[in-house]
Amino acid sequence: MERESKNPIACYIIGDAMITALGETTSENLRAIKEYQSGIQLDGSGDFLSRPIQVARIKQTVYDSFARYDSLEFTKAETLIVSVIEDLILQYQVDLQSFDTGLILATTKGNIDQLTLSDAIPTQTWLPALGLKIEQYFKTTNRIKIISNACISGVSALIVGKRLIQNSTYKQVVVVGCDVLSPFIASGFSSFRSISPTQCKPYDESRNGLNLGEACGALLLSATPSADAIILSGGAITNDANHISGPSRTGYELHLAMDKAMNEANILAKDVSFLDLHGTATVFNDEMESKAVSLSELAEVPVQSLKPYFGHTLGASGIIETIISAHELKDGICWATLGFEKTGTSVPLRVSNLHQPLDMMHCVKTASGFGGCNAAIVLSLPEFQKPSESSEPITVSRLRSVLVEDSKIFVDSGLVFESAEKDFPTFIRQANKNFGFVNQKFYKMDDLCKLGYIASSYLLEGIDFDSEKTGIILSNKSSSLDTDHKHAKLLFKEGESGVSPTVFVYTLANVVLGELCIRHKIKGENTFFITNSYEEADLIDYSTSVMRSDNLDYCIMGWCELFEDNYKAEFKLLKKI
Amino acid sequence: MNQLIQTLKEQLIEALNLEDITPEDIETSAPLFGDGLGLDSIDALEIILILEREYGIKIDNLENAKEVFYSVQTLADFIDKNRK
Repeated sequence: MERESKNPIACYIIGDAMITALGETTSENLRAIKEYQSGIQLDGSGDFLSRPIQVARIKQTVYDSFARYDSLEFTKAETLIVSVIEDLILQYQVDLQSFDTGLILATTKGNIDQLTLSDAIPTQTWLPALGLKIEQYFKTTNRIKIISNACISGVSALIVGKRLIQNSTYKQVVVVGCDVLSPFIASGFSSFRSISPTQCKPYDESRNGLNLGEACGALLLSATPSADAIILSGGAITNDANHISGPSRTGYELHLAMDKAMNEANILAKDVSFLDLHGTATVFNDEMESKAVSLSELAEVPVQSLKPYFGHTLGASGIIETIISAHELKDGICWATLGFEKTGTSVPLRVSNLHQPLDMMHCVKTASGFGGCNAAIVLSLPEFQKPSESSEPITVSRLRSVLVEDSKIFVDSGLVFESAEKDFPTFIRQANKNFGFVNQKFYKMDDLCKLGYIASSYLLEGIDFDSEKTGIILSNKSSSLDTDHKHAKLLFKEGESGVSPTVFVYTLANVVLGELCIRHKIKGENTFFITNSYEEADLIDYSTSVMRSDNLDYCIMGWCELFEDNYKAEFKLLKKI
Repeated sequence: MNQLIQTLKEQLIEALNLEDITPEDIETSAPLFGDGLGLDSIDALEIILILEREYGIKIDNLENAKEVFYSVQTLADFIDKNRK
């Protein structure tokens, strides 16, 4: 049994730093946006795709300017992360060596640009190794928390940081988001045919895809306000439980995330001054968002997408876009959505290609990503903060546990299935047939998803639950590195035309969450942490705080690790009592 | 045409990881998408790759995708008309 104490603490955003294609500081970025500049340019270098591609690339001179890190042999991602955190430390005197300071990294692919044709997998492509390097550089007291939740990673990390402030784990949290461009990422998005040959045009009738970008940003969250703080007053994550790459056709689940976040902030649609949406400019994403906005009765509220300035910077996008949105609230201006000309969504949104001065109170910021995940946060000017009720402390019990390892499956420590076959693909096929749930999609999944799928099937067998009141919080060590390697092999051996969308879609750890949500129709919170080893007590604490703040009845939590021949799934079902 | 249909079925089974399905299990004129084989939008992208790699048909913007991707028969007709 775990118990939580009641603790209504506000979470303030008191500082930021960022490096993007538009500039090396927040003020440089804001200046460029004010002048309607885009960081997206046609890149014919062949560094990412063989054909010229519109990308928002950080200039090589920026990387070169960090000569002080030369002796440390930092990768591009490491250089950006360390320099952005150092900027934050310099500006706001953050003490990362304090017991009271936490550090969270949001990234989809970390150092994946370091994968090469060689069969050997470089150590730095393991996300825990990247995390360790950051910890060692800053001599942090607390372990870094890494979140890999596809394109909602940045917003997810802010929600995690907010909870860690509010449950008094830390007094300050640095939340950093980073992803860098690579052929790995560009070829995958190209195989999905989602890259626009021109500069992206979110919500426009002629939109035809996204532009990739690279960036790193950091926000400083604190339990104590500063003179010009913004309040992170609400946050929620949901899952479409529909498809691992295609957005919901109804927008209901993103709407659910926005409504939950607004409920937490205790605000109504009329209190929202503007929406900073994901706005990737793919046909289906923007259409889904317009429906979600309408369902939340926000269709009359000004909307923007910042993607035309920065490109889609994946795990960094939620952080850098939140930085800009927080400044918009303070400065009383909603920036233009570059390239927008004519409404191209079934529900017309209030998008403008001109900067608009606005009376500001609250901003709702959203993100959606592969794995069917959606996230929404509310940013509030302190003078308009609404008192919100703190959720009641809850007690949870462990209803059931499942362990899958060494060709055996245990439920509550009792052996329920065993195979003589030691290789994972054969074992997991047999386990699936033994379980008896016919689903052709099982065979399309990568091995990590198959492992999670089988573990969850045994965990939830015979249990009735409310789809919107159930969440999944998982962790592992290797993220999706097993499948990353398969995608890289196709790319390096067969070229871009050999890349398979079926493989690429699984190069994200949180797609396991997506598959589980589809299988069991789960629409609640879903977050994937990367840790060097299974930290069960921490994950139970976090899951309990999610169940409390998100009012969930059930939460699946645990460890889902697979890399080459080694695998282990250790799931628990928590129930609120 | 029969040979093309047989080959296409084999290529679909391999590229789309259709477990325990043989070419005989796939009805030539039955809908590919929806409940039957459980195909979805990612499978559609894989089928486009089959058309490009195996038949040299480059697809940038397929106007009548729904009709072409309806069944093995309609796909085979499309390949027959357009292959190089």
